[in-house]
Amino acid sequence: MYVRALPTTDVNRNTEWFTYPGVWTTYILILFFSWLLVLSVFHCSPGIAWTIVHLAHFTVTYHSFHWKKGTPFGDDQGVYNRLTWWEQIDNGKQLTRNRKFLTVVPVVLYLIASHTTDYQHPMLFLNTLAVFVMVVAKFPHMHKVRIFGINGDQ
Amino acid sequence: MITIPYLTAVSTYFSYGLLFAFGQLRDFFRRFIDWWLTTNLHGYAPICLGHEDFYIRRLYHRIQDCFERPISSAPDAWFDVVERYSNDNNKTFKRTTKTSRCLNLGSYNYLGFGSFDEYCTPRVIESLKKFSASTCSSRVDAGTTFVHAELEECVTRFVGKPAAVVFGMGYATNSAIIPVLIGKGGLIISDSLNHSSIVNGARGSGATIRVFQHNTPSHLERVLREQIADGQPRTHRPWKKIIVVVEGIYSMEGEICHLPEVVAICKKYKAYVYLDEAHSIGAIGKTGKGICELLGVDTADVDVMMGTFTKSFGSCGGYIAGSKELVQYLKHQCPAHLYATSIPTPSAQQIISAIKVILGEDGSNRGAQKLARIRENSNFFRAELQKMGFEVLGDNDSPVMPIMLYNPAKIPAFSRECLRQKVAVVVVGFPATPLLLARARICISASHSREDLIRALKVISKVGDLSGIKYFPAEPKKIEQTKNDIKLD
Repeated sequence: MYVRALPTTDVNRNTEWFTYPGVWTTYILILFFSWLLVLSVFHCSPGIAWTIVHLAHFTVTYHSFHWKKGTPFGDDQGVYNRLTWWEQIDNGKQLTRNRKFLTVVPVVLYLIASHTTDYQHPMLFLNTLAVFVMVVAKFPHMHKVRIFGINGDQ
Repeated sequence: MITIPYLTAVSTYFSYGLLFAFGQLRDFFRRFIDWWLTTNLHGYAPICLGHEDFYIRRLYHRIQDCFERPISSAPDAWFDVVERYSNDNNKTFKRTTKTSRCLNLGSYNYLGFGSFDEYCTPRVIESLKKFSASTCSSRVDAGTTFVHAELEECVTRFVGKPAAVVFGMGYATNSAIIPVLIGKGGLIISDSLNHSSIVNGARGSGATIRVFQHNTPSHLERVLREQIADGQPRTHRPWKKIIVVVEGIYSMEGEICHLPEVVAICKKYKAYVYLDEAHSIGAIGKTGKGICELLGVDTADVDVMMGTFTKSFGSCGGYIAGSKELVQYLKHQCPAHLYATSIPTPSAQQIISAIKVILGEDGSNRGAQKLARIRENSNFFRAELQKMGFEVLGDNDSPVMPIMLYNPAKIPAFSRECLRQKVAVVVVGFPATPLLLARARICISASHSREDLIRALKVISKVGDLSGIKYFPAEPKKIEQTKNDIKLD
């Protein structure tokens, strides 16, 4: 089964790959297979496995989307050095389809994790904290905002 | 238009994710180990900001033996590749004295001027003896010989413009000319896949840059209308100047620009056209005069025509051709003309001789033969590759053909296996190409004979089967079967 790869106008090579077909599917498949992996390694209940996946997803995506700034190569002469990956994507335009998808995924994970753990503490508290931080970080109003100077420039 | 199998796209993303994750893991442990080691560089700022060297250290270094291979002969159809070995996992290489004779599918040797030529080389040697290897000066001081003047006149005759100026380096031509042509308050609209020399020149000029979808004139019109209506950012005053930058043949795609539509749109909205013919001059068109001849565009409609001499003419340097006023302005303002050393005289002589051969002024028809041969070779090679089931980009008649690889593991697999079978190819990956679309780029030359091409096809087919890059079904060989039937009857 073939898909067409239309060329984009995004010059930022760090975020341009997200506009090609197959990214959303890969993302969801990675989450599903990591749930299976956690289940097989830790022999825990499905709910605990989803909680672990949700919290690991929170750590990894917070670090790569909202903490690390700049690009992993030097060809663009550092024009994006002050922007996190989330601020670079789609050229800074807010509320595009990609951004909406990336905001929905942690919320869906949260719902699955809290449902499969029957809304028990302490998993519920940790999950809620994680999804709260994730969703607030992705608000359009938070574009280029550094609260209390955390992760600001020197 | 690139057609990817969906499973390949998903597996490519997953592979890059895995490579990225392993790179991060190694960096994490490296930070621990470095914390314990003492260093006497306290108080110094780090050389690399953030993680901008991450890609080079963790992804590029793993397959570094596929790039920068040294060669030890002229870049003809067959050349000698120096063998190297590495003791520390591809971080550093040691050259051996052994070389292997490989078929050259990577050099931009479109017309075969990259090696000994019976007309050009004696004249170049004569000019080397008379003028020596360098002019040791910039053009305005003492670096203009009558060969330079003859070269500029030759270029104007070849390209079809009133005047031309020649520089010593093709990359520097773009990056030094664009800042002179346009400044703050101007608008540059460039194709999204333009070469990095154009991107550098545009960034250095201070003008606002907008990008339009690759080779899509309708999107160019939309961007132009939007920008003209909007005006300059914040003040909304009208733009001082608008330049649209396109290339003749895009070096990573092999596609030919839709020049007639672009020129029509620019005429309608009164924007200037800057055409970079680095790969197309001398290689396409009936008499080799480039994309304007191929597509029937009047050269007077293109305002600035830029090109390089590295590809079809077997030399170095670049030129800008335009109206007499434009060239006079450039000669007075451009720093590459005023301060950079002029093109070495033997190289200039090589270009003059090559142009004479192409135009047939040396008294033979070798130029026309070369042009016919490269067109034949390119079309034959591309058709055969497509029949085998490879995904090949580029239009017909274009001598550049990228074969899509996609997966990051297939990049070194293809390159190394081809080298083992004595075929040298160039592979390109991220960030020169988009993440998904890694490719092996093949450049056909007029000096490749039919046997060379058939041999290359056999090797590429075998390596393609081993690496699994035949993404399309191969066409069955129907014609030969019917011929056999007729013979039996």
